[in-house]
Amino acid sequence: MTFATLIQLMIGGIASGSIYALVALGLYVTHLTVDKVNFGQGDFMMVGAFLLLSTRAAGLPPLVCVPLVILALGLLGWALERVAIRPLERARRSPLGSYSWILTTAGVAFILQNVIELVHGRSVQHPTPLLPGGHDAIVHMMGVGFALEELLVVGAVAVLVAAFYFFVFRSRWGSSILAVAFNPEASSLLGVNTPAIKTGVFVLASMLAGAAGVLIGTLITLHPHIGLIFTIKALIVAAVGGFSNPVGIFVGGLLFGVAESLSNYADSSFGDLYPLIGALFVIAIKPSGLFAERAAHVR
Amino acid sequence: MQNSNSSRLALVAAAAVMAIPGLAKAQVKVGVMQGLSGPPAIVDFGESYLQGVKLALKDYEANGGKTKIELVVYDDEANPQRAVSLAQRLIQNDRVPVVIGTVSSGNVLAMAPLFQKAGVPLVAGPAAVTSITQQFINEKPSYIFRCSMVTRFETNAVTDWAAASNRKIGLIHSTTGAGLTAVKEIDEDLKAKGKSLAVVEAAAPGVSDLTPQLIKMRDAGVDLVLNFHESYELTFRPLSRINYRPTIAGPWGLSSMKVPDIVGRDALEGTIMSQAFDASTPRGKSFNERMRQEYGSAYRWPLVASLGYDAGQIVFKAVEHVGKADPAAIRDAIEDTDGLQAVTATPTRPFSATDHECLDKKDVFLGVWKSGTVERVK
Repeated sequence: MTFATLIQLMIGGIASGSIYALVALGLYVTHLTVDKVNFGQGDFMMVGAFLLLSTRAAGLPPLVCVPLVILALGLLGWALERVAIRPLERARRSPLGSYSWILTTAGVAFILQNVIELVHGRSVQHPTPLLPGGHDAIVHMMGVGFALEELLVVGAVAVLVAAFYFFVFRSRWGSSILAVAFNPEASSLLGVNTPAIKTGVFVLASMLAGAAGVLIGTLITLHPHIGLIFTIKALIVAAVGGFSNPVGIFVGGLLFGVAESLSNYADSSFGDLYPLIGALFVIAIKPSGLFAERAAHVR
Repeated sequence: MQNSNSSRLALVAAAAVMAIPGLAKAQVKVGVMQGLSGPPAIVDFGESYLQGVKLALKDYEANGGKTKIELVVYDDEANPQRAVSLAQRLIQNDRVPVVIGTVSSGNVLAMAPLFQKAGVPLVAGPAAVTSITQQFINEKPSYIFRCSMVTRFETNAVTDWAAASNRKIGLIHSTTGAGLTAVKEIDEDLKAKGKSLAVVEAAAPGVSDLTPQLIKMRDAGVDLVLNFHESYELTFRPLSRINYRPTIAGPWGLSSMKVPDIVGRDALEGTIMSQAFDASTPRGKSFNERMRQEYGSAYRWPLVASLGYDAGQIVFKAVEHVGKADPAAIRDAIEDTDGLQAVTATPTRPFSATDHECLDKKDVFLGVWKSGTVERVK
């Protein structure tokens, strides 16, 4: 393998891995705060991708479509928390009550898949390119072709991860999230609007899925059932990176994406299997993830 | 009061007409099973084939078919267990005397024994795996027919051309049963022609990127890529990024009108695929125009729809000939089909006791994408 080939493979893997990381960050923030994740996080990404497809088809420019899609996904996250998660709080003490959110979030994901199928059909869709020139906008450097859309994905995700980190660990809102994560009852007594924070983390997670949906169309063709595999990979990435460390999740996503790319080059027959086996080893040896802090959870 | 009397009279008249044999049309149910949900590639096949079957029924009715035919359509979701369950339902509950379907070859292979045992003819399509009609052909009679592309014939057509083109050949295939069958058949075909595959690369059905596989092809100097992965578009996406422009040839799936929408006309130009429908013939042109009128933009796959149309023609003609729901007689009528005016390359007398395929090897030719349409390779 030449150096140019290695770089070519890595850039593709980093782009895919960035998307996994973005989806996984949504899982991280809700898990951190309320110990629950949206099992339809990948499907929320899919909805974001199709909303972008519709708004672009309606003739709106990307600068209008992208904020619209992310806001719409924020609303969807709000609805998810109010309809599929909060009502279950009352059933917490029943034998299966504390795990009912797995069923309800997965149920919402199935509903979304079917709605998108009804609107867009079951066939594959090719999103309108975000950048002029689309997939053919390539920059060649040192024998390596860099697709501008792939560079856009990597750059955008890096900025979003930095913004997310700042928001959660350096802002007043982030402090409220961490306070609720640490002790919701004490936070309430200290004046934190706990219900609003619990809803807010699902809004934030959905907006991250919306951003992933905007970016994913530059890498793959779309259909209403792409979500599940992204949810699974995001869960793996979050487990490998460490469920309590957003930077670890970002690095875990990139590692997983690059591992997929390299393993497909080495042996395409089982290319997707080796990264999963690797992830299993990592989890077996270090269950808290590669980049987990000593205290695995703020609690 | 007068209205009430008129209604009664009308009812009595209708009942009398129904009761007199020969005045009312006999009604026969025809089962249709297709993959109408599930993986998008399956849905494209299933919907297109069903469009053709429905147009054939419309034409049958317009031409004054004496036997009233009702389609009983089920979606097998490309799921073999569901296909078997629906086959039992069609045979036992709906009591259909003949069935058309389905997309997934695995589903057809799973349910074919049920139809054979029940003595209900199955006209398979658009499933393509070679062995479908061979399973029971030595049982006299076999109830399994097919109106579809046949993997062996299309790999033959593609490998004949590939071997003659004197290029370095690579193959990319999916890890599904159909993909693995294609690899075996292509490898055997090329070896028989004194050629071999320089590179063989695989990919799982749900992958989203084939850059690693195509880099290997490029680095090995492959200038003809045989694309037998069902996500056809994936092969085209990395080419400009990795500065690689091989000729791409593949199965009939590459002729779907969805492919230029996804891949782009320029990237697709010159791509070769197996074909059995020639849109340049008067019959092909007329079929295309009628399908566009009927389905508009939902008509996206001429080859698959035309095979569905021919399957419909064959089945409806046989039902008309028999005039009642008699599976054994309909089977015989299907096997004896003659004078068929097919829109595909299917011959006028497609079947015999030892051949239950609409298409033969000689009927499969190559098509090439030129300026957004598929033309026959001269």
